[in-house]
Amino acid sequence: MSQFLEKIKSFTLWELLVGMKLTGRYLFSKKVTIQFPEESTPTSPRFRGLHALRRYPNGEERCIACKLCEAVCPALAITIEAAPRADNSRRTTVYEIDLFKCIYCGFCEESCPVDSIVETTLKNYHFTQRGQNIMNKQELLAIGDEFEQDIARDKADDAAFR
Amino acid sequence: MKIEIEIDGKSFEVEPGKMIIEVADAAGIVIPRFCYHKKLSVAANCRMCLVDVEKSRKPLPACATPVTPGMVVRTRSKLALDAQKAVMEFLLINHPLDCPICDQGGQCELQDIALGYGSDNSRYDQGKRSVKDKNLGPLIETEMTRCIHCTRCVRFGREIAGISEMGSIGRGEDTEIGTYVEKSLTSELSANIIDLCPVGALTNKPFRYRARAWELTQHSGVSPHDCVGSNLHIHTRRNAVMRVVPKENEGINETWISDRDRFSCEGLSSPERVTSPQLKRHGQWETVDWQTALQTVVEALQDVTEHHSADRIGGIISPNATVEELFLFQKLLRGMGCHNIDHRITQTDFHYQQAMPTYPKLPVSIADIEQQELIVVIGGNTQHEQPLIHHRIRKAWDNGAKVIMINPVDFEFNFTPTQTLLVENRRLPEALTGVTRCLAESQQDTEIAKDLLQSVAVTPAHREVADALLSAKAPLILLGAGAQNHPQAGLMYALAERMAQLSNGNVGLLTAGANAAGAWLVGAVPHRGPTGLNVSKPALDVQRMWESELPAYVLFNVEPEHDCANSAKALKALSQAALVICLTSYKTPAMEQYADIILPIASFAETPGTFINVEGRWQSFQAAVIPKGESRPGWKVLRVLGNLLSLDGFNYVVNTEVTDELRSLATTNTPEQPAGPWRYPSHLPTVSEGVERFCYWPIYRSDSVVRHSQPLQKTPLSETPVVTMSPQLAQRLGLEAGTEVKVSQGGDAVVLQVCISHRMVGDTVGIAAGFLETAGLAESFGTVKIERI
Repeated sequence: MSQFLEKIKSFTLWELLVGMKLTGRYLFSKKVTIQFPEESTPTSPRFRGLHALRRYPNGEERCIACKLCEAVCPALAITIEAAPRADNSRRTTVYEIDLFKCIYCGFCEESCPVDSIVETTLKNYHFTQRGQNIMNKQELLAIGDEFEQDIARDKADDAAFR
Repeated sequence: MKIEIEIDGKSFEVEPGKMIIEVADAAGIVIPRFCYHKKLSVAANCRMCLVDVEKSRKPLPACATPVTPGMVVRTRSKLALDAQKAVMEFLLINHPLDCPICDQGGQCELQDIALGYGSDNSRYDQGKRSVKDKNLGPLIETEMTRCIHCTRCVRFGREIAGISEMGSIGRGEDTEIGTYVEKSLTSELSANIIDLCPVGALTNKPFRYRARAWELTQHSGVSPHDCVGSNLHIHTRRNAVMRVVPKENEGINETWISDRDRFSCEGLSSPERVTSPQLKRHGQWETVDWQTALQTVVEALQDVTEHHSADRIGGIISPNATVEELFLFQKLLRGMGCHNIDHRITQTDFHYQQAMPTYPKLPVSIADIEQQELIVVIGGNTQHEQPLIHHRIRKAWDNGAKVIMINPVDFEFNFTPTQTLLVENRRLPEALTGVTRCLAESQQDTEIAKDLLQSVAVTPAHREVADALLSAKAPLILLGAGAQNHPQAGLMYALAERMAQLSNGNVGLLTAGANAAGAWLVGAVPHRGPTGLNVSKPALDVQRMWESELPAYVLFNVEPEHDCANSAKALKALSQAALVICLTSYKTPAMEQYADIILPIASFAETPGTFINVEGRWQSFQAAVIPKGESRPGWKVLRVLGNLLSLDGFNYVVNTEVTDELRSLATTNTPEQPAGPWRYPSHLPTVSEGVERFCYWPIYRSDSVVRHSQPLQKTPLSETPVVTMSPQLAQRLGLEAGTEVKVSQGGDAVVLQVCISHRMVGDTVGIAAGFLETAGLAESFGTVKIERI
């Protein structure tokens, strides 16, 4: 009997139909695939992506060269050189993050007393040249300038849970 | 008689009169404190060290409570901890929360103690106090809002530096620490208040914001600027010297260092550093590799030995060079057959060199200077020449010792010497002879140098010095730079020895440079080889080398225009020489003219080595950073030169092999005793008439590293090249302060401004060395002609 049924299943391509049923279900169900880069998955405001250095609304850079991020960085990815600026304030002359070394742990953001260094929700970036993995101060500030509204919004969203 | 006390359940036998905190510190029991410092007087004004003492209703400050028999102290009881926490809360009321931008962050006593005793929250909701910053000059940065009024800096000024420059003004909330009138600090020890300040109110200005304490690597070092050999901690980061702080050594520098030792490291990164070997070809400087440079040096030296002879080479080495460098320098030249080797670049008279001991050594240790009853300083501005020995002299004076200065200039000291015998520079030997005559007559021992003593009339001032010498037990006579560089240095040294003999005292030389003792020991002198053995044929001393106008000179870390006495003579000799090889860390404009080959050598903190200080203490140190650019440690360059010249015994691998060799030589060789008693002249040399130059090296022009340190050059203590004269002399010559005058000596002339000072005496004018502007004068202590332009 079972042999007979096996034959019937074989002739009617039953397994195929069972398989096609799964395909058919997903064909008509809601899609999880997104159209990158036009679309993107939602991210938490706490997402730890590309770094940025922020400024105050008046344009003054926040970083005061306290070097806590450099000290806390477990991957030794941050390099800072500091010196008095012309107005005698404490500023960095060099602020570099090596993104190859960085493990995106977020300790730098955590340690910053002035919310200067942040990890933005940006996750789509690439390097085409050797050396581009080292983000310098200008690049980090530029990212901060470009995404300041997003960074501020994420910070505000997360503030209640901190 | 010792008494027993108990601290935290442990009993201690202690000397009566000690404070609780001293006993606790010795036993390793931690009591928090801000105002207490073991080297300063007790102020007891921070109240942080409150401890619980049994049978006392209230907690008592451990720094100001002397121990009593049977005392029971608890440092961690509830009463003590509550008191300490309450004090901490009060201290933090007005202290700003600016640790992230404060240079003291990470090395701050307040930060550390706040972690243990502070609260996480402040109950204070009023406005915080803010205080205007003070300008204390180019070395010390202030942020007076951070000040917690511990008054360590105030007490330092009064008790250690000897100048009350800092003080506290106002009361209560309005208390401020500062200089009364805004001014830069003028003490040569001023920057020690940076280390004393428990908070970030006073910080290191050149180091400002440049590094954090946790980034720095600490290396031990020894100061290369004076014969004290202060112990240093050199802090480096990424192969750069960031700052220098004192390393405690009770026997040498206690917990202090001079500003010169602390800030000279700023000169290491000077743009004038030479970082690659250079050759002059057809009048043009070319940068070459080491191999070419060394080969050229070897060929040039062999050329000189062939065409002239080896003893037509002059070898001049800085007294700041390490023992290894000095030893290999003399070994190299002696191996070639040349004995013209000298390190006494600031001196002009060498008649007494045979009578010198193997190496000059203080008769007492540096620490024992403060126990002396009477100290006589002859020709020395000790405060600027050896700041930390001067500190010991001042401590002796503070303990009630008499200090007598016999000087050609009434130098400004941070205490008032018991007596100052002021004489014109050329009459210094006369003054010493007068004192010696008084002593000899009192001791009825007038046979030695009878004629000489008879030739001088005794003045009441001479008698006063002699009486002081006779009344003291074992007086200490110190000869400073002014005596050692004097054209009659030999006679003065002999007279000082005679004075000491007649008064049961001791004589010590405060030698120039960091390693004069080492230089003598290794034989960097023309008449003696290593460990003081006489050489077969006496050779030329540094002044004879200049006068003989030799065809070749080898200069090791010497800039003759700045470092040498009789600089114009030196420059003349160098410009006629066919070959001048400079092993140097810095290139000067004059060097570009006279040098033919420049080999860059490592500077301070870049080379391992050994210094022997003025009390004969060997101090070895390692390099803190690798030498800048292509520079190489001096001893290695000399070693390779020795090998290239096929000389024996240059196969050293590490620098300690050099010192080991010297040590073994010192144990096997017994130097001949210094050559007999001094032959005194029958009368003093005739004193020339007219205006006479007194040459000295200002504190921040003493060597090339110091001269390149910009912060030091901006301090009030740094001098400009002027001709300093007494008001009487200025009036006689018809000159006012600021007038430009032509100062001429024979054919040489320089143009300088006039500075009028009450500290000058008679016809002596002070013209400093160490400046290019004054390098054109051929005689450091000769007569000069001053004319208005």
